[in-house]
Amino acid sequence: MTHAVALLLYVGSLLLWFRSLLSGGRGRGAVIAFALAAAGVAVHAIALARFTVEYGQLPLNGLAPSLSTVALIIGIGLVATLGLGEGRRVGIVLVPVVILLEAVAVSLGIEPAPEMLDFQGAWFAFHVTLAFVGLGGLAVAFASGLLYLVQLHELNTKRMGRLFQFTPPLATLDRLGRTALVAGFITFTLGLVLAWMWTISFRQSFDQSNPKVLWAVMCWFIFVAALGVRMGDGVKERRSALASVVGFSLIVISYLGLRLVSSEGGFFL
Amino acid sequence: MSPVSVVGVSHLTAPVEIRERFAFAPGEAEVALGALRSETEVQEAVLLSTCNRTELYVCPGGNEGVQEAAERVLAEKAGDVVGGTKQYLYRHDGEATVRHLYRVAGGLDSLVLGEAEIQGQVKDAYELAGRNPGTPALAGPILHRLFQSALAAGGRIRSTTPIGEGAASVASVAVELARKIFGGLEGRQVMILGAGSTAELVVEALARDGIRGLVVSNRSHERAAELASRLSGRAVHFDEMPFELARTDILIASTSAPHPLVTRDGFRHARKDSQSGPLLILDLAIPRDVEPEVGNEANVFLYNVDHLHEILDDTLLKRRESVPEAEAIVDEYAREFLQWYGARDVVPVIRSLRARWDDVRERELERLWRKLSHLPANDRDVVEAFSKQLLNKLLHDPTKRLKQGIGNGRGVDFIDAVRYLHDLETEEADRSEGSGTGDDDEADGIGVDVTLAEDQ
Repeated sequence: MTHAVALLLYVGSLLLWFRSLLSGGRGRGAVIAFALAAAGVAVHAIALARFTVEYGQLPLNGLAPSLSTVALIIGIGLVATLGLGEGRRVGIVLVPVVILLEAVAVSLGIEPAPEMLDFQGAWFAFHVTLAFVGLGGLAVAFASGLLYLVQLHELNTKRMGRLFQFTPPLATLDRLGRTALVAGFITFTLGLVLAWMWTISFRQSFDQSNPKVLWAVMCWFIFVAALGVRMGDGVKERRSALASVVGFSLIVISYLGLRLVSSEGGFFL
Repeated sequence: MSPVSVVGVSHLTAPVEIRERFAFAPGEAEVALGALRSETEVQEAVLLSTCNRTELYVCPGGNEGVQEAAERVLAEKAGDVVGGTKQYLYRHDGEATVRHLYRVAGGLDSLVLGEAEIQGQVKDAYELAGRNPGTPALAGPILHRLFQSALAAGGRIRSTTPIGEGAASVASVAVELARKIFGGLEGRQVMILGAGSTAELVVEALARDGIRGLVVSNRSHERAAELASRLSGRAVHFDEMPFELARTDILIASTSAPHPLVTRDGFRHARKDSQSGPLLILDLAIPRDVEPEVGNEANVFLYNVDHLHEILDDTLLKRRESVPEAEAIVDEYAREFLQWYGARDVVPVIRSLRARWDDVRERELERLWRKLSHLPANDRDVVEAFSKQLLNKLLHDPTKRLKQGIGNGRGVDFIDAVRYLHDLETEEADRSEGSGTGDDDEADGIGVDVTLAEDQ
């Protein structure tokens, strides 16, 4: 029920984001949309806290709880843009992502996974949380990158229509994307290091063919690439925005592909 | 009775050299309003003076003396004008004044359709009339209500219609573009090539948003120095321009040079060593000062005169399309105001109407009793009751329609008509002299609301 309320708040927020877009960002539509999204995040957090209390475990194991947690972390990423003025309008991209993840989680049923992993406890919680925060950072970088490319297109086509008016300034989007990428890269790397240390310490072997491992390493390289394109001459802001958009899309597509072929079923994310 | 009149001059009736003669500085406006106070017939007044209009709103409306007093204030300010000031002045009265002010506040009457500055100017004018130092406020209950309502109408027009959407001048386009590229203008470096007046306007608009530094470069260094000193900038010689270009965030070019001053090769050379962030170039010159190929360079946003005109045309087209929507809001607020105003007057009018015909009824009864002195008291009571009942029946429909008129926006017309047809002005004057009391209590909105509610 609490998840449904959170979803409703997210959907309400999305409708208001689109209304604000149609009005070129005039009026208080965007402010209310952001407030609704923040309310959705609060209710969502309560829902996952109740899950933790009820089942005695964090919602980090099993597909539905994991997706819901990733959705919450992306939502928190949106709330973190509070002080960015027009930068908050990345909500128009982030909220649909949150809605999609949460809707899939709710439709699957947010319940604990039937089997327990041997990789549990604080190590596991830190590893997964850090990795999810990293992915959340990449999602925010994706949203700001996408809007950066939209605004760049509007500026290059010399139009000053409603899309131009609504979309945040290039500098704001670049700053947000860069911060999200750096924060995401650091937390994601820490998450991977934790998992690697646990594996080395307790299993003495590293299953390199595990799709989870492959996917995680690919994500890490995407982070590296998105940050790496900021080096060198030329329009590094545009390159970085493009890399964030392509990188996040690749991660989503590869995740879906690996889930289809993975024999591990519910234990992959 | 008409609530309010306006006398004024605007960009629609007078060229700038005439308008500027009618313009009041804030200090002058206070003096003018103080002088107007001595005009006994003027009960309330607000003076709105902007670069595109000077208007004096006065109460009561429909009063020739009041309008002439207002005209005199404006004419005295303008001084001697060839052909006289009357040819440039317009007058509106009653509903036309109300609608005019709402259109002004909403930017519908502005030189640049939908411009936002006028809303603040209307507010300032109203506030000025409310705080005349040492004297009671000149904006009384009617103008207070009217201006509050006009500001609300203007705000709603801007927030619910696209009338103020987009940039409608080269300067505002420049500010808008700079904001969307740089986020804010704080710390940005601006360079002007040439010394054109449009470029100056653009820089003034950018300066309001906090640019860090301004560099002016012109073939004539003297002119560059003059413009730089006016805009608190720095003049550089023309051959230093490439060096400055490397550090520039916004370049405004408006020279009359016959060939491009910023070529692609020159541009590349100038910025090759710089950690060049985005560069916004506004090329306002014809022939162009900047080679179009420069616009293909990385992180360069080049807008020439054609681009700017397309943007402005598009903005104005969208604004024009929203006029009917904005006019509907004006109608709605005007109707509300006139209902409120009508409600102020309707109770005393109904009271006067009844008193007027009750007097007639009593006089006629007295004449009748003289002719029918033999009539017994009981029969007299029956006749008197009949006369009252007949009067009630006769006045029932006019009273009802009068109240309905307030609801459908025709209240002021109806009140005037009833006053005229029933000769209530004389009646009210007699009553006023006789009683020595005003209608303040009767005219308050609460009494009217109750009366209307009872009637429904």
